[in-house]
Amino acid sequence: MKKSQRYLSLGLLVVGLAAILLAAVFTHGKAYQVIASSRVDGITSIVPAAEIPPPKMEPCLSCHINGENKNLWTPLARWAIFGTFGLFFVFGVVRSVSVWTKRKPWKPLTVRAAAWVDERYQISEPLSKILKKPVPKFALRWWYCLGGITAFLFVVQGLTGIMLAFYYKPTAAEAYASIQFIENEVRFGSAIRMIHHWAANGMIVICIAHMLRVFIMGAYKRPRELNWISGVLLLILTLAFGFTGYLLPWDQRAFWATTVGTQIAGAIPAVGNLALVFLRVGWNVNEATLGRFYGLHIIVIPLATVAFMLAHFLMVRRLGVKKPL
Amino acid sequence: MTTPNPEPQKDSIPFYPDHVKTEFYVMVGIIILAIIIGVLGLMHPVGLEAPADPLNTPLHVKPEWYFLFLYQILKVIPPNILGIEGTAFGVVSVMLALIVATLWPFFDRKEDASKKATWIRLAVTILGLLIVIALTVWGEVS
Repeated sequence: MKKSQRYLSLGLLVVGLAAILLAAVFTHGKAYQVIASSRVDGITSIVPAAEIPPPKMEPCLSCHINGENKNLWTPLARWAIFGTFGLFFVFGVVRSVSVWTKRKPWKPLTVRAAAWVDERYQISEPLSKILKKPVPKFALRWWYCLGGITAFLFVVQGLTGIMLAFYYKPTAAEAYASIQFIENEVRFGSAIRMIHHWAANGMIVICIAHMLRVFIMGAYKRPRELNWISGVLLLILTLAFGFTGYLLPWDQRAFWATTVGTQIAGAIPAVGNLALVFLRVGWNVNEATLGRFYGLHIIVIPLATVAFMLAHFLMVRRLGVKKPL
Repeated sequence: MTTPNPEPQKDSIPFYPDHVKTEFYVMVGIIILAIIIGVLGLMHPVGLEAPADPLNTPLHVKPEWYFLFLYQILKVIPPNILGIEGTAFGVVSVMLALIVATLWPFFDRKEDASKKATWIRLAVTILGLLIVIALTVWGEVS
């Protein structure tokens, strides 16, 4: 296919989309104008007399945030329906253009996209090497899954944590109320908080189980010493996640658990007071403690965890799973 | 990417798709579990206690369950051990244990000759776990 033809088809597509967009914009604006004018003049126009919907009857775009109990599935259904038709439309356009130009026999879109990316990144060869790496069969027992489950729970925590962070306010005045808002008002807010809560506890349990499995099987020995050390650091980071996250609801349990938890840190000889003041930002748990724990919980500890996880996984890949005796 | 493995080994499977598929099933299981937990959360939310009040100490102050054994050690440790303050002694010994655990591969360098070492480590693990669980339960009920 010639270059000019390609530009022509692309141009036609752009013009067509622009026409649809303009039509949509103009008809929308016009409909409101006509109705508005007919209301002002009191003259029945050709357009069927439709009232401008009062603000309450407007499609409520924020209802899923405010958690109104009617139309529970409206936003999801809207996404599913419009998204499906949109995909059909895109698929149809792309396929029509492709067939019309008859450049090559039709190839699935995914294959084309993969080839396009591969041409630019040259990634398929190293990737296939990575993907084809043999995994020993003994590593299919369930106790070899524990590390992977921990990593997946970390992903779950990341996703639900981001969702919670959208609504959480890390100030002494608002933290408690924002958690109440998440539980009572935000749609599925209490479900997300429940998942975050239990996945946190599960992550600690599974992380410790993974560590004990490695210890019992002696998989920490040469040449895997660094993997063990990074694993212990990851466990400490997981506990730090739990410790900092526990304060965020800012209720009595959180406040006093943090008070006694930081007391433990304060009992270290020589550096205890320093640790205490660093954690509490002062001599007592206060609003600044909340801000510090929030920053640690959502930025510092996740970044450190991701870094150590990458090192951990890379070493597992390079060294393989230790063969049991 | 579709070239067959030139020499298929009997005691191993390819990472993709076999191993990835296994991991995928595990993930699906966890997602289903998470959805069940989420539905339970819709019915019975995690909830909150009273808002934080620095002037009003509750009767039973406890840290999170995974620090409870540590807290319990510090609570029951005698105030003076070998001339050192009890809490400091407890915290330092726990920190030393943590450091030893971190550097354990450098203390235990010998290759395992037989399964016996595994059994010994299993016994040590179970013993340690029992102690920690006992301390945790003690801290929870006390």
